[in-house]
Amino acid sequence: MADNQQMTCGPCAASAGPCDGKGKATLKDGVWTSNPISIQVLGVCSALAVTNRLENSLVMGAALIFVCVGSNLFVSLLRDLTPRRVRMIGEVAIIATFVILFDQFLKAYYWDMSKQLGPYVGLIITNCIVMGRAEAFALQNPPVLSMVDGFANGLGYAIALAIIAFFRELLGAGTLLGWTLLPSGFYTPNQLMILAPGAFLTLGFVIAFFNFVNGPKPEEESKP
Amino acid sequence: MKDSGLYTLKYSFIVGSVCALLLTVVGAVTEPRKRANARAEEVRNVLSVLGVEFEAKASAAELVTLFEETIEVQESDEHVAYRFAGSVDGSVKPSVAIPLAGPGLWGPVKGFLAVDPELTTIRGVTFHEQEETPGLGGEIGQKWFCDQFKGKTLRDEAGNAGIVIGGPGAKAPNGVDAITGATMTCTKVQAILNKAIKRVVEDRKANG
Repeated sequence: MADNQQMTCGPCAASAGPCDGKGKATLKDGVWTSNPISIQVLGVCSALAVTNRLENSLVMGAALIFVCVGSNLFVSLLRDLTPRRVRMIGEVAIIATFVILFDQFLKAYYWDMSKQLGPYVGLIITNCIVMGRAEAFALQNPPVLSMVDGFANGLGYAIALAIIAFFRELLGAGTLLGWTLLPSGFYTPNQLMILAPGAFLTLGFVIAFFNFVNGPKPEEESKP
Repeated sequence: MKDSGLYTLKYSFIVGSVCALLLTVVGAVTEPRKRANARAEEVRNVLSVLGVEFEAKASAAELVTLFEETIEVQESDEHVAYRFAGSVDGSVKPSVAIPLAGPGLWGPVKGFLAVDPELTTIRGVTFHEQEETPGLGGEIGQKWFCDQFKGKTLRDEAGNAGIVIGGPGAKAPNGVDAITGATMTCTKVQAILNKAIKRVVEDRKANG
């Protein structure tokens, strides 16, 4: 598909490509400089809820990548056809379709995982990251770039969740992906990490780390 | 034109229909697998409450086969009972399981109750479906809570059918400890259990 686009693009193709040269910047934005969890602090409800085990958060991350890419693609494809009055409800319909697709897939092929994630897969419909990317990005940008943006934000979410879950599962249960790394004789699992406070604490550290490495935001520098 | 009422209506209709159609197809395609999973889940709960041993990683089909080989299902007009004749080596005694269902504090609670064939002691209790407060009422789904019921009698010392959760009755042969901070859930669970216990006891009386 990328090749096709370059052909039709003609002279500008060599430098621009399907993403108009913004692909890398978009990818970096979603994953790092404006990571939905650790910088924008969006969609933290699910990030707190499913990060008690690494496996759960990886599946949840995959779900968000799938939904973001799919919904961004279709919102972008339909962006010139969509009447403004029903814009948001249309986006929700598309998002909900992808979420339910993923949910049905889990229910059919990964029943145990579906049970563990409980309502949180379905709740991706109301996740502000997905809706936010559709509104803020896909409505203004071409399909391929929108898909990159969806992927980047989904990946940013997945990475942030994986970091949180890594520490919560390791310190809270002494295991990773179900494998015992810290045997019980040598390490006493800290229940706090599995419970809600552990999620808040770890998220706080992740936010602090991302902000520390990214440095202060430009608009904050200009403030007196 | 794009903002005219008719266009908006058409757009909504088409987008809505396409989404709905897609989901209907996917729902229908995955239906058999989902049903098999739900069945395996039910079977797993029955087997575990009856104390039948099975591998934790057993597949859906294996569980159903094991269930069909070992459990006798008795269905009367409105009730169902699962009868297990006991393991071959005698380590697991024969028992009967019946489904439990009723309102919890936040939503429906479902589970199974296993009793010995003479209806004197409880062999096991599970709650596999509940929406109680996580960490408080939600503890009814935990092993420590359910395991308390094992070996408790179905009747109090005066011979009245029923069990007691919490309060001064907790030390009685038909009593178990309640969950601190989940009094409402415990009261409701006690009602669900007692309804089921009374029913089996009365059924037995009626049928001799």
